[in-house]
Amino acid sequence: MCLLPQPQNEHIELHRKRHGQRLDHQERKRKKESREAHERSHKARKMIGLKAKLYHKQRHSEKIQMKKTLKMHEQRKTKQKNDDKTPEGAVPAYLLDREGQSRAKILSNMIKQKRKEKAGKWEVPLPKVRAQGETEVLKVIRTGKRQKKAWKRMVTKVCFVGDNFTRKPPKYERFIRPMGLRFKKAHVTHPELKATFCLPILGVKKNPSSPLYTTLGVITKGTVVEVNVSELGLVTQGGKVIWGKYAQVTNNPENDGCINAVLLV
Amino acid sequence: MALYNFKKIMVVPTSKEFIDITLSKTQRKTPTVVHKHYQIHRIRHFYMRKVKFTQQNYHDRLSQILTDFPKLDDIHPFYADLMNVLYDKDHYKLALGQINIAKNLIDNVSKDYVRLMKYGDSLYRCKQLKRAALGRMCTIMKRQKQSLEYLEQVRQHLSRLPTIDPNTRTLLLCGYPNVGKSSFINKVTRADVEVQPYAFTTKSLFVGHMDYKYLRWQVVDTPGILDHPLEERNTIEMQAITALAHLRSAVLYVMDVSEQCGQTLEQQLELFNNIRPLFANKPLLIVANKCDVKKISELTEEDQKIFADLTAEGISVIETSTLTEEGVMTVKTEACDKLLAHRVDGKMKGKKVHDVLNRLHLAVPAKRDEKARPPFIPEGARIGRKTMEVDAPKRKTERDLEVEMGDDYILDLQKYWDLMNQDEKYDVIPEIWEGHNIADYIDPDIMKEELKVKDEEMQEIRQLAKQIREKRKLKIVCSKDKDVHGPRLPRTVKKVERKTLEKEMGDLGLDMTGKDDSHYAVNARRSRSVGVAKKRKREASVVPTSRTRSQSASRPPRDQSGVRDPKMAKQAKKLMKNQQKDMNRQGKKGEADRHVFDLKPKHLFSGKRKSGTNDHR
Repeated sequence: MCLLPQPQNEHIELHRKRHGQRLDHQERKRKKESREAHERSHKARKMIGLKAKLYHKQRHSEKIQMKKTLKMHEQRKTKQKNDDKTPEGAVPAYLLDREGQSRAKILSNMIKQKRKEKAGKWEVPLPKVRAQGETEVLKVIRTGKRQKKAWKRMVTKVCFVGDNFTRKPPKYERFIRPMGLRFKKAHVTHPELKATFCLPILGVKKNPSSPLYTTLGVITKGTVVEVNVSELGLVTQGGKVIWGKYAQVTNNPENDGCINAVLLV
Repeated sequence: MALYNFKKIMVVPTSKEFIDITLSKTQRKTPTVVHKHYQIHRIRHFYMRKVKFTQQNYHDRLSQILTDFPKLDDIHPFYADLMNVLYDKDHYKLALGQINIAKNLIDNVSKDYVRLMKYGDSLYRCKQLKRAALGRMCTIMKRQKQSLEYLEQVRQHLSRLPTIDPNTRTLLLCGYPNVGKSSFINKVTRADVEVQPYAFTTKSLFVGHMDYKYLRWQVVDTPGILDHPLEERNTIEMQAITALAHLRSAVLYVMDVSEQCGQTLEQQLELFNNIRPLFANKPLLIVANKCDVKKISELTEEDQKIFADLTAEGISVIETSTLTEEGVMTVKTEACDKLLAHRVDGKMKGKKVHDVLNRLHLAVPAKRDEKARPPFIPEGARIGRKTMEVDAPKRKTERDLEVEMGDDYILDLQKYWDLMNQDEKYDVIPEIWEGHNIADYIDPDIMKEELKVKDEEMQEIRQLAKQIREKRKLKIVCSKDKDVHGPRLPRTVKKVERKTLEKEMGDLGLDMTGKDDSHYAVNARRSRSVGVAKKRKREASVVPTSRTRSQSASRPPRDQSGVRDPKMAKQAKKLMKNQQKDMNRQGKKGEADRHVFDLKPKHLFSGKRKSGTNDHR
């Protein structure tokens, strides 16, 4: 047992205060800093592989920031002609009548576009989606003593089954919806609020690929789903609380493991 | 009791580093190649392995953080309180709770995605699922940025806390700022606490150790406390309060008699009365410091009354000066004695004492007669003791001389030499004399030897010994001259004839008649040397008839046939040796040995193929 003192609290700073730095401290510091540029460039040249890709990406963004700050500093020092001193709307004389024309053009274009879309069609964020074929969505399950019968199908995409869903007896069920692929919640984004909520699904309204999928409850990209929005606290003009709204799925749920949707307002 | 050592907590990485480390580890430690045409179960297993590996890494690292950091409920209340004061208990618990939640979330994510991957029917789908899983785990970690930063700072501060054992003998110093607590601890222990003229130089607890009565004592220095209510106290003062509240120690309340700290004696007394409740059940001592500036006897009547009152209450007041070291030892001894007595009292009242007391027995020898037998103390020890008590000036050390003489000082150790002839002290001793190295001939007992030489008997014995040595050397030389044979064969190589053996043994006195059935005779008969045992009469020596026998005599051996001169013979031998070198190096028996010892050396068949060939990887 020796009575050696233990280093306590700010012993490093205390030592520096009492004894100062090494005699060559400033020189070493200066040299180390000046060597940094060389070492960085050596590293950037010699690195290979994935590490290099990540490093170069990070370094590139750093350099962009540096250039921006430099440019900012330069702008403060120099004076520049402000090109848009002229207020919005002010137009030179030789363009005066043409302006009216362009506005008219815009209006007629809008009308034409509206006419193009047929009446009664919803305005959905994803109007066109790739149609999913049956071989993609349903997988053939072979049954029977000699595995020859091929009338059962298993759904390979994410699906939704209601609360009161019970399977048919296994011998008779034609469409198998595996439990691992059943989802109850969706991440719904409100397009105006730009906020995302995790809301329970009430049901599948329409699957654009086939009505069979709608009845089965298969959810693919572009499917319109009804979600429970009571969490958002929306109220109608009459004073009634809205608790169900439609949302359209925007991702491939079987690839991402989650359902992302956009609320249809 | 375990020493509270928080230095072993592992570094907590920042969130970005954490993610980078784990992802790069996944990329390096799991297989990297998978193709579309592999069987689906193999593709699935490949991607599931990556997801599980990442989850495992995160889980392990986070669990380690959670176990490393001390739980505030499990450690001693002193440390729990101290950590609350320094780091805020709620924030600390929240941060650790967040880490725990993150760990559980990551586990859940991994479970979900592994379950989904079982339904993956193509490489693309499995790959996307793996990407989603890893991305989610990393997002969870990104959200923990604040908690991880906070925990890293806590760890750094924790590792520098002094290790105070809350259960051992402790002396606690408290008082206003700038009264001289840190100077006191510097004098009594080896702790090097900073002492400066401004208030609040000491900003946290410091611990020093000292010895007294063969026991180890802790001395704890606290930051100064100001006189305001508990709610208004800041972190620094709260540390002192925590130490006062939780450590079972002797309290030394330090007061500044000269009022140089900026507070009057009344104010110091006020503070003393305010924190009096914290001194309950602890031996108390008042240290009146800075008495070299002003003694108590020089104070005004009211101030002297304060000290008189305190002494009347039973608290000892001791005047000290950390500058001149006057009274420091008295304070130390008195405080230690008081604390020891207090602790022993406490232990006696407890139950554990009886276990020990039952086993202790002090045996005192019974007196056999009336003769007084006091302890024997040698004269030197007695004188030493007296000087120690009187505190006589020690003898002048070299250092004192050096300080005195300044630049003129020369270290002269020869003046302390104890020689028979004191004049010879400064004599120069040569290193080499008459070709001999004097250091080789140094003998510490040389004086004794010199005296021995003068003895007559020894002279005669020496003379005789010398003669014997000479004679012996001569004999050795003569016998060496006689040896003309050079190196000889050992006796056992030569064959001993039966009759020589019997003759020699007979000369020595052994009876060697009738030894035909003896062992050596039987063996001799059985041996192959037919020509020796039975000497047949032969006619003229018969010439060997077969050709091979004749030619074997006349044919030169193969390494000499066809060789013209010794130079060529040498060269031929050299060629032969060169050719054998390679085989010898590889440990082969000969040209025909083609055995391969290691058909599949490990270094050629393990590891990833980076930029090597089949000869090396």
